Amino acid sequence: MKKSATLVVAGLLAVTFPIWAGDQYQLHLAALIAVFWVLIGGLNLVVGYTGQLSIGHVGLLAVSAYTFSILAGTQGLHPAIATAAAGALCGLFGLLLGLPSLRLPGFYFAMATMAVALIVGEFIMANDGLTGGGIGLAAPTFPTPFDSPAGFYYLVLALAALVTWLTWNVARRMWGRGLVAIRDQPVTAQAVGVPVFRAKLKVFVFSGVTAGVAGAVFASLQSYITPDTFVFELSLFFFVCIIIGGRGSIVGPLIGTVILTALPELVAPLAKLGNFFYGLLLLAVVLLVPEGIGRVFEVISERLRPRHIASVPVSPDLPRLARALGARR
Amino acid sequence: MNRSDPTALAADTAAAPTLAQPGLQSNPAMPDHDQQLVAAAVTKRFGGLTALDNVSLSLRPGEIHGLIGPNGSGKTTMLNLLSGYYEPTAGAIRYLGEELGKATVQRRAALGIARTFQKPRLLGALTVLDNAMLGAWTHSRAGFVATLFGLRSVAASDRALRDKAAELLHGVGLGHALNRRANLLEHAEQRFLEIARGLALRPGFILLDEPAGGLTAAEIEHLGGLLRTIRDAGIGVLLVEHHTDFVFRVCDRVTTLDVGRMIKHGTPDQVRTDPEVIRIYLGA
Repeated sequence: MKKSATLVVAGLLAVTFPIWAGDQYQLHLAALIAVFWVLIGGLNLVVGYTGQLSIGHVGLLAVSAYTFSILAGTQGLHPAIATAAAGALCGLFGLLLGLPSLRLPGFYFAMATMAVALIVGEFIMANDGLTGGGIGLAAPTFPTPFDSPAGFYYLVLALAALVTWLTWNVARRMWGRGLVAIRDQPVTAQAVGVPVFRAKLKVFVFSGVTAGVAGAVFASLQSYITPDTFVFELSLFFFVCIIIGGRGSIVGPLIGTVILTALPELVAPLAKLGNFFYGLLLLAVVLLVPEGIGRVFEVISERLRPRHIASVPVSPDLPRLARALGARR
Repeated sequence: MNRSDPTALAADTAAAPTLAQPGLQSNPAMPDHDQQLVAAAVTKRFGGLTALDNVSLSLRPGEIHGLIGPNGSGKTTMLNLLSGYYEPTAGAIRYLGEELGKATVQRRAALGIARTFQKPRLLGALTVLDNAMLGAWTHSRAGFVATLFGLRSVAASDRALRDKAAELLHGVGLGHALNRRANLLEHAEQRFLEIARGLALRPGFILLDEPAGGLTAAEIEHLGGLLRTIRDAGIGVLLVEHHTDFVFRVCDRVTTLDVGRMIKHGTPDQVRTDPEVIRIYLGA
């Protein structure tokens, strides 16, 4: 059970992080990773499992961040209620976006989601009465005990854990198989009865809800949001985290999110490289380990000592098959 | 039996479902008509090309029905019409009292019509067991939200389907590879996994698109054993196949197509000795 031991250690490290973190900035960074994972974890079911190339989730993040800031700030609602409202709104937004676009073939779906992200940006700029336009909006903090950096960190860590658990439940059950079938063998998916469009839509709405929750805590973490916070590159960043992490995995994209968020911040020379660093890493992963960094150790160990699979001639056990079929004669 | 004049028949499709088929009437143990999977006077055109021209076929539970013919004779077209990938230009598909001509592929899966593919379409990233379990999608009682929140009923449903799929896999001879990734399977294993996935649907009918393609003689023998066992379990089998020896050996009835038209239908012996079939397909 090496895997579960690794999980326990990683979990302990995450929980104790506020104790041994070097400074407030590192804690902020850890909270940012958790916030991003709330979005990317949900998006992972869409991109990594179902194979739908959504590159517009920054639009959902922005809608939700502004919803939260307006409801909890300007309107004075409780931040928890504002977060729930932002999640629900983005779920609805996902439904409205998914209904026409999820029937489109992959490339056009990607373009539709990109267009939405761009439109949302323009909409925010245009409605400055509501959103503050280019000046932006202040986002409120959560009430005690979540108003301290450590408290807020635990809040978003819990949300990140929740999203991980939810997606893991999907991935390991019949729904996970159905989603991978939509991604890799859509014809088979139909043949076994997977309602392809409806399944895509449900997963997409779920990713809208998680993006909505992420946007609310993202705004609170940033404490001030402007349209420049939600550049299109951020959307590509979410997407790249999943691709680098590996499709059809949860741990992989999680590692991808951690590395891609933390590395450029912690290693100064990498920050200077900016997008060049992301591009380089993406290129390296796609060319060297297309399975993603989540499987990099697996791939290396298999290269070093290839397992020889003994060729066993198939020999059916017909009485057993008859029993399994529940012979009717 | 050569339905000669295509133009006359094309105009005749409305009346065609009543066309008699000799093999159909000679069988005394004819089950309830609704239990049959019926293609009634089906025509399929792709633009100007007529892939199937007024062909009728009825598959019965507990019977292996062979469909043979040269390349381009419309065998796979018929299979795609029955399984719902194509919509007939004219004619009807019926099963369990339902007209299925316009029904989705998924609807047919829900009714218990399973199929395999000429080129195996497996999920290479998943295990053999997961691939077989996917076939039981219609029997999974787990909604998306219930799955998200890890309800106990979802886990229980998954476990039950897993046990059933594992039994089927042991039955078809893949018990040694349950946890192997499907992209590491050999060709025969892939073909048998496709069949196991089809059976996991607990089908009334399973439609097999050239399941013997690329198999060795010994593997074809095993396939024959599988088909007989499936038939004896009361499942109807449609066998689209090029290996005519194999077809005549395992099938209860055989239909021969040529350029979209039916040229002979009957028992293997009737078809094998038919002069028209010999001239067009089997060769002297």
